[in-house]
Amino acid sequence: MEKHIGSLILLIVLLIAPISAHAGVPLETVKGHVDKVLDVLRDTSLKGESMKKIKKEKIRFVSEKMFDYTELSRRTLGQNWIRFKTEQQQEFIELYKSILEGAYIDRIVSYTDEKIIFNKENPLSEKTVEVQTTIITKKADIPISYRVIRKEGEWRVYDVIIEGVSLISNYRSQFAQILANKSPEGLLDTLRKKAGKA
Amino acid sequence: MKLISPLFLVLIFLLLSSMQVSADSSLTMSEISSNKNEEIRLSEENETLPEPSKETEEKPDDDLGDITEEEGEEEVVQIADPLYPWNKTMYHFNDKLYFWLMKPLAQGYSAVVPEDIRLSVSNFFDNITTPIRFVSNLFQLKIKDAGNELFRFLYNSTAGVCGLADAAKMDFDIRKKDEDLGQTLGSYGIGHGIYMIWPFLGPSSLRDTVGRVGDYFLNPVHYINPTETAVGITVYDRVNETSFRIGDYEDLKKSAIDPYVSIRDAYVQHRKKKVED
Repeated sequence: MEKHIGSLILLIVLLIAPISAHAGVPLETVKGHVDKVLDVLRDTSLKGESMKKIKKEKIRFVSEKMFDYTELSRRTLGQNWIRFKTEQQQEFIELYKSILEGAYIDRIVSYTDEKIIFNKENPLSEKTVEVQTTIITKKADIPISYRVIRKEGEWRVYDVIIEGVSLISNYRSQFAQILANKSPEGLLDTLRKKAGKA
Repeated sequence: MKLISPLFLVLIFLLLSSMQVSADSSLTMSEISSNKNEEIRLSEENETLPEPSKETEEKPDDDLGDITEEEGEEEVVQIADPLYPWNKTMYHFNDKLYFWLMKPLAQGYSAVVPEDIRLSVSNFFDNITTPIRFVSNLFQLKIKDAGNELFRFLYNSTAGVCGLADAAKMDFDIRKKDEDLGQTLGSYGIGHGIYMIWPFLGPSSLRDTVGRVGDYFLNPVHYINPTETAVGITVYDRVNETSFRIGDYEDLKKSAIDPYVSIRDAYVQHRKKKVED
């Protein structure tokens, strides 16, 4: 009997192992970054208001590695991207990044013990994959997907979709509205004010 | 007098039931025809629209690959907004309503009432609004989901003590399938029509408003007599729900460049996903 169980387990391992090894890289990459953020949030030595700044700094450090801000910016602007000169594109990326980090890191710092489940990967194209996760709170389950792109062998996030709402699509609609009336410089000006760098 | 009170109830209910920006009301669909008109109307000082330059590849300056090729410009969902002046006014109204009334109420309430009790209240209201989800699932021929809703209702009403506990989720992992008539209409291929913001109720659309009227009649709370009691219960439900979301709206406003546009887009995207689910 034991022998049978042993071979059964072996069979299962053989069947599953190649699949998970093959499918796991984008998911594991995202999970790695999210786990690092969670470590920071749960770090008991960083408790209290005074440590909040250090916490945020640490999370910002993870976000630099986790996100591909160039890809994120480019996809947010969509067809408007080519209206920007190279220096304007660079400035846009920086401003957009600082606005996003400012808004979302503040938000994340207040989370503590929500559980995150990494559900599955869903290939979108040759280079892009969607990693689907769920945050379990007492009140409800919140689906969050990370879209990642592979560049030079590394997977980086270029969009986050919370309850069906894509981050880059949401900003695209806002930027498109502004760019319908203003030049790229005008948009940059709006962003400088928002980022407090006017 | 008899006629006025139901009307009053509808209005109050509408107002209160969608304080949350995350918009649980109705539906989406993207193919609203020519957005150009609205786009112009929307822009306060309208000028020329940007020429949609197709040649993304024209600028081969980096290794980013071209966007349009893969997964596209993750399809843009749009909604017509011809009622922009009204909507914008209602947006400001709801904004003030939240900061001046709902938020302080919910904060005071959650300071006094522990989270576990607020969760039970939330479960209770979820349980009695089963008819909305049951009928909506049925109309979409989601027979299994409809059956699950029925089972959840029976089980939670008994084992869950009048619906105070979500026992079906805890014991059998059978979860609530959030459906409403707006989504049902959407699943038939009916688009939003136009974007509408209701005072008290928040973001909606023509289609979702129609769905909402139907939902109203499927909600047992609205059959309670006298009307004042029903209104009171509805208000309480909204305050209880808001107590879980304090801060969400503030964060949304903080992260947005143009909160009005951000919320409108989020509404449409969110409803689209709900219809597809």
